[in-house]
Order: sequence, then structure tokens, then C-alpha cells
Amino acid sequence: MKALEVSAKTVEEAVERALNELKLTRSEVKMEVLQEGKAGLLGWGGENARVRVTPLPKVQSPESRVTSHESRGGGLQSEASPERSVSRLMVAAIAREVVETLLRLMDVTASVEVGGGGDDQSPLTIEISDGDLGVLIGRRGQTLSELQYVVSFIISRKFKGGVRVTVDVAGYRKRREEELQNMALRVAELVKSTERSIPLEPMPSVERRVIHLTLRNDPDLATQSEGFGDSRKVVIYPRFKVASSRFNGFPSQSNREALNRGTAEPGNREA
Amino acid sequence: MKELVEYIARAIVDNPNEVKVTEEPGEDGVILKLEVALEDKGRVIGKQGQTARAIRTLLRIVAVKRNVRAALEIV
Repeated sequence: MKALEVSAKTVEEAVERALNELKLTRSEVKMEVLQEGKAGLLGWGGENARVRVTPLPKVQSPESRVTSHESRGGGLQSEASPERSVSRLMVAAIAREVVETLLRLMDVTASVEVGGGGDDQSPLTIEISDGDLGVLIGRRGQTLSELQYVVSFIISRKFKGGVRVTVDVAGYRKRREEELQNMALRVAELVKSTERSIPLEPMPSVERRVIHLTLRNDPDLATQSEGFGDSRKVVIYPRFKVASSRFNGFPSQSNREALNRGTAEPGNREA
Repeated sequence: MKELVEYIARAIVDNPNEVKVTEEPGEDGVILKLEVALEDKGRVIGKQGQTARAIRTLLRIVAVKRNVRAALEIV
């Protein structure tokens, strides 16, 4: 069958139009972005997006199945085949459009960078920068999490799942990760010197994970998440050696509890 | 604000043509009413209201910027 080239204001629109024309679905075609659209200023100077949509052979030979699978961006092979990199480009282009549209509708002016793969190995990373971005982060990154949730929901719906997306605003996640690592190490020292467990403030799961990972290899400590919902938090426990716990002057009952919590649960691995 | 809710809702439902958002003045700012096909209702609300909460959060950003109060109702 013949390939169809369509241009429209956005990649998304062009793809929709081409699919309507061909009466096919996304999984039945190979999609290539020939040119990403540019919004332009106040409706002037914008450039159209162009895509080429090629129908895949109808008969599902093993070969064509691989192609159609990969063209959706969910291939398992780690080597990048042409179809795969094209579909990455497609996912990235559409992700950019989704985020730019959301920002425009929220009256936020900022620039958007898209990187990463969008498969299991490397999540699609969307960096929003250059603008009045405090409103996009919110208290403890709450707004940022919700923005990421909406973006990844929309993109997953368009590509029928399998796209992992991380959204960062003004490097917030990176900064926060360093902060959390420092805090983990600081509190870890305190736990070791006082030999008492210390709970951290409640955090979302991504942040708790950072704490667990930071202290994972410390033989003297164990970490565990406790509590439910919004009040779930990491507790850092000293991990007593069984032999020495008799002599360190703490009530043995609580020692044993701490020991059990520290070793019986795989707390230092799960978030 | 209406456009934002419309865009998100259309992007996540199965029947985008049945998405309708109306703005009504309320006692305390504007009330946006989001209507979707019955089978899509769960999708715009989400597990434990997660999706509805996220839409409200993003709506609040525009509302704050425009110095109005906005509430989202899913009907």
C-alpha cells in the first residue's frame, strides 16, 4: 500500500488526519515525523508539522509483527533499529506537543525539552524550564507529580500503554534527590551514634525510594517505610549485631524488635 | 480554563466527542461542569479520584494566574 504524507498544525493532528484518510489505527501503520511543527508567535511564523504514514502489510507474518510492535515504541530489543528510533521520535514529538499544549492552556510560558527513550529501560524525560515555574512544582512537588500523572496518562492513552514518562520542572527533581541523599546520610549518622531509630518526615514513594537506595549498602542500618497513604514515611533503624545487643544497655525487647524490623522485612529494597 | 479541562478530558476518554465543559458562575467564583460519556466517567475520576484531583490541581494553576476561583464538577 502507498505511504501518505500529511501536514497539519501539529504532529498529532497530522497523524489523526492520515489515519482517518487510510481508515487504519496506529498499530497498523508505520509513522515517521518528517518535520516537527512550531507554534510561532501569536499565530504568525508557525511551521506546519509533516508526517509520513505507511500502512503495514495486512498479513501478520512474524516479520511484520515485529515491525508493528516496534513502531509502537515497545520493542524489547536493546539495539536501536530504524523503526524503533523513528517511533521514539514520534513519541517524543507528541509528548512535547502534549506538554506545550497543557502549559499554554495553563497560561504558563516555558521551554520544553524532551529526551530519553520512553520504554522500560529509559523513561521519556520532559524538562520544563525558563519561566515562572514555582506554580508547577507546588508544596513538596505535589503539583509536579500531578502534572506528570496527567502527561503520562495522556501519552499512554495515545500509545496504548508502555511509555514511562518523567516530568521535571527547573531541575526540581534532581535538586530534591540530592537534598534527600544528604538528609539520609545525616540522619543515618545520628541513628548510628544514638543507636535509636529515627523516623523521617512523610514523603511520596519516589522520595522514599531515594532514601532506601542511599542507605541500602550500609551494614549498620536498615530502612523501612511505615504508615499509610500521605503519612507513609521511612524509618531508619540501627541494625544491632545479635551478639553485641546484650551488652549495649538498651532494653533487649526493643532491640529485638528493631532487629526484626531491620532484617526480617526487605525494607531496604522496597520503597 | 474551560479549554484546559476539555483538552485533558478529550485526551483520556474513549469518546472525545461526548466531552462537554460548561462554565457557570457560582457563589464563589466559576464552576466548571465536565460531562463525559457514562462509560468514561470512571476514567476522568480515576482510582480514588486521582485523575479528578490532578485535573483540579492543574485547573487551580490557571485560576490563580487569572485571579479567580474555579471549581470542577464532574456530572
